Amino acid sequence: MILASPLTPLEDVLRSILEWLGPHGALGLPWAWSIVALTVLVRVAMVPLTVKQIHSMQAMQAHMPEMKSIQQRFKHDKQKRNEELMKFYRENNVNPAAPCLPILFQFPVFIALYLVLRHSEDFFHPGDNRSWLGLLPDIADHANAHWSGYLMLGIYAASQLTSTYFMSATMDKTQRTLMMILPVAFIPVLVNFPTGLVLYWVTTNLWTVGQGVVTRSLVPKKAPPSAKRSSRTPPRGEPEPETGDGAKRQAAPQQPSPTAPPKRVRRKKKRARR
Amino acid sequence: MTTVFRLPRYLGVGLVYLYRYTLGVLFPGGCKYHPSCSQYAIDALRRYGLARGMVLAGWRLLRCNPWSRGGVDYVEQQRVFR
Repeated sequence: MILASPLTPLEDVLRSILEWLGPHGALGLPWAWSIVALTVLVRVAMVPLTVKQIHSMQAMQAHMPEMKSIQQRFKHDKQKRNEELMKFYRENNVNPAAPCLPILFQFPVFIALYLVLRHSEDFFHPGDNRSWLGLLPDIADHANAHWSGYLMLGIYAASQLTSTYFMSATMDKTQRTLMMILPVAFIPVLVNFPTGLVLYWVTTNLWTVGQGVVTRSLVPKKAPPSAKRSSRTPPRGEPEPETGDGAKRQAAPQQPSPTAPPKRVRRKKKRARR
Repeated sequence: MTTVFRLPRYLGVGLVYLYRYTLGVLFPGGCKYHPSCSQYAIDALRRYGLARGMVLAGWRLLRCNPWSRGGVDYVEQQRVFR
């Protein structure tokens, strides 16, 4: 395999982790559950990366009205709207959007798992239990080999939609709809994937959903009393530009240093439009 | 000749599109920046070619981490290559 050769080390690493979790390893889990455990491990490792984002989401709550008004003002100009929103986030030191880098961490695991399951014959011992919950007969089988595979895909689609719902809080409507339709459109392709991989997906999506629910319950409905991380706008050289005009702000000098500026009282909702 | 010269960058742009419609769909997420990382990669590849474009896109991805502030960041604003 041309594609597999550079990925072999990746496959080997994942294989040894799975072996450690698996029925012949230290934990002795059945294969299917060791995939679930692997997924959970990956997500637990990523939790520190999401903490910052959760804080950001909490801080964002206080800025909702301003964000809504930006969205309203540039309703018909997606480019300009995104630009203004990003500027706004940056100014107020909030950014509810998920960064790209942590997503990339999931790819190697996913690809390696795909390779391991595809070469399952030299991985599983004969006689190993490869089923899951008595539902999936064999996690190395393609999803279309058994009716339960389709059930898994159904669960996958549902979990994917829900997790996209939580992930895409910052996207605009069209983008969000697209992100929700595409996974469903992908099901004919996924039918040829091993069900173990679908299991990975379902687990990771459920984790995302759980994390989203927890985040939401942590986000206070009302703005927190002390402006914790909301508007620590670094001091500017010029007096507060109160024009509410984005073009002007862009010209403001880059923040000189990340040294903590004195805490400021959150800006009152007094922006220009009214 | 120029087309041949530009082939590597087309390849790069093609790979980004391939990512967008495969893994990008399966692992949904946003981006802290405008334009998004994949769009930035496409712009960088088109403008600076495969090698430098990849460096720029890689650097952007590294910046798109939980501790960065995000914001508006166009390829034209880069200061790595002059």
